[in-house]
Amino acid sequence: MWLARDVSPVSSDAPLASGTNVEGEAPVGEETVETDEATITDDAELERTLGLAGGLAIGIGTMIGAGIFVFPGLAAGEAGPAAAGSFAIGAVVALLVALPASELATAMPKSGGGYYFISRGLGALAGAIVGLSLWFGLVFATAFYLVGFGYYAVDTLAEVGVAAGAELVVPLALATGAGFTLLNVTGTENAAKLQNGVVALLLSILVVFLTYGGLDALGVVGEPSAPEEFAPFGTTPIFTTAALVFTSYLGFAQVATVAGEMKRPGRNLPLAMVGSVVVVGVLYVATVFVATSAFGSDRLATLGETAMVEVGRHYLGAGGAVAIVFGGLLATMSSANASILSTSRAIYAVSRDALLPRYASRINLRYGTPHVALGLAGGPVLVLVATGEVKVLAEVASFLHLVMYGLLCVALVALRRDEPEWYDPDFRVPGYPVVPVLGALASFALVGFMQPISQAIGVVVMLASAGWYYYYAGDVTLKGKL
Amino acid sequence: MTRVLVPLAVLEGESVSLGLMDLLGTVDVTVLGYHVLPEQTPPDQARLQYEERATEALEDVTEEFRAAGGAADYRLVFTGDRDQTVDRVADETDSRVFTVLGATGEVDRLLVVLTGDVAVDDILAFVSELVGDRPIGVTLFAARGGSDPEGLRQRLDAAAERLGAAGIDATADLATEGGPFEALVTAAAGHDAVVMGERAPSLRSLLFGEESERVASETVGPVLVVRRREEGGGSDDGENGGDGDA
Repeated sequence: MWLARDVSPVSSDAPLASGTNVEGEAPVGEETVETDEATITDDAELERTLGLAGGLAIGIGTMIGAGIFVFPGLAAGEAGPAAAGSFAIGAVVALLVALPASELATAMPKSGGGYYFISRGLGALAGAIVGLSLWFGLVFATAFYLVGFGYYAVDTLAEVGVAAGAELVVPLALATGAGFTLLNVTGTENAAKLQNGVVALLLSILVVFLTYGGLDALGVVGEPSAPEEFAPFGTTPIFTTAALVFTSYLGFAQVATVAGEMKRPGRNLPLAMVGSVVVVGVLYVATVFVATSAFGSDRLATLGETAMVEVGRHYLGAGGAVAIVFGGLLATMSSANASILSTSRAIYAVSRDALLPRYASRINLRYGTPHVALGLAGGPVLVLVATGEVKVLAEVASFLHLVMYGLLCVALVALRRDEPEWYDPDFRVPGYPVVPVLGALASFALVGFMQPISQAIGVVVMLASAGWYYYYAGDVTLKGKL
Repeated sequence: MTRVLVPLAVLEGESVSLGLMDLLGTVDVTVLGYHVLPEQTPPDQARLQYEERATEALEDVTEEFRAAGGAADYRLVFTGDRDQTVDRVADETDSRVFTVLGATGEVDRLLVVLTGDVAVDDILAFVSELVGDRPIGVTLFAARGGSDPEGLRQRLDAAAERLGAAGIDATADLATEGGPFEALVTAAAGHDAVVMGERAPSLRSLLFGEESERVASETVGPVLVVRRREEGGGSDDGENGGDGDA
């Protein structure tokens, strides 16, 4: 059993990164020793302070908002009750990637996540494309969560009797996005504890709701619901819908962006990544099942982003609607906030390697926060929120992440075929090489099922990232260097 | 020799008072320079920016400790959780005592607190070593926590005898009125530093903060805290398994 293995201090005897960018900045490379409790560099130590619960809260907190509170209506409209199958496909793809990601994370428990693994496994060009795309992927994801939040905020107003139209969705999302960015720059309160509480509360609401709804749907309590054809639109929509709802599974890789801060990384990283995918996957499939049992999928589709509120009302009356509205607000907010924080870490990781100006990772001494990176995260988010395009935002986010996931699996295979001396993961993927190969194929295949516009935007972002690399940091090499 | 850990918020301009440096001249010292970061900031990012400045300041402080008498070294940690860092480094450096900084001039008299469930033997052994043959007086203090005043009186007398045998001017002070914390703060007047034992975490410490921190802020002076010995060797949260390399 992999968990039983003791973590031994990993010394990185790898050659250090080299080359400079156009401003003459070189990647920061230094030999470090990783222990369970801290990273030890030449002159300083970096305390690991996140436990397993914190890691799970980041993973689940990032993911749960989208899959449960935004997508059921949209997905049912496209695939009918078979949308549950779409979520299941998403979960399988996410698991196929989470396992290789876990291996890489335990081999390189550093901030930066997927970017770090790919730049060390496949080199600076692939790293730059992934790193910069990840920045934008997270920006698209954050914008998507915020628009979802806007819909819930409008519904909240409606629930308390204030008539507000859909035209308020974007302004509310914009205000919240700006607020979170500002709070993250100036706030030094420990919001991580709050995040853990929010996730625990959400999970309790959902378990109660899904248990009752599930019993009802199966005819144990209440009136039996009218059976509906499982896949009214055929099988293709199941896959295109899987591509759309894959945004619900992006959070597990965000766990890897805090890999440098996790206690006992050899144990906690795999558990947090795989665990959070399993937890949300089960919840998603159950939610769609319960939702499509409450109403026909046509009805769900017309209810749109906040269809779950009506589902709550159907099963549990006004109390159910209020619980879901409240849950939706919390969930979309926690997703958006967690993503802004991940974006800031992604930018830091790239700037540390001289692929972006070092200035981007400045910290201000007053608040101790990375204000430049947070601004680079929050600014573009606001522009995207203003478009209000839920589906496109979600798909582009998924596109950019899926490319990273695919390359991450490739990087694992590349590292395994010719294992460098420093490569000593505490967790090794079961079923190698089948799992990473399938993970890569599934990730790239899912991209093929997206709308052309999402694919086009994704490709443009990747090409722009590659162009930036050649212009700005063509001399920097990172492959095989820690 | 006993090692004392001196946590120092090195980038926030915190400094060690001269009186405390002299007081610690008879023991070994590890200066723990730390910088606490909010969760938005990866510790490594802060290290890139501040390592040099922090190291310079720490080297100066460590040099001053050496000049004051004992052997001294330093560690620099960027962390999201100060208490976790103090605990870890204290374990790794085998420090039996850590300090809570405060202002003081030359130390003439120590208040040694023996109230409650603390390791009396460890505290007295440390005080003897700390005072050595210097003319520093000791007041042994305990507050009556409601029960068994006779037992506390005996504990204080036995302690005074033990220190007296080591050539230290020790007197006993059993507070019988007021809450234990208020009595301690009152008794601290006329003393330059407080030595106390670390207590098991309780609801009170969760609500109001560590007792030692509160004593330090109420009395303004430095506090030396003798750590609890781990029972069974496990660390908290069951998150055990440190390699403890130095």
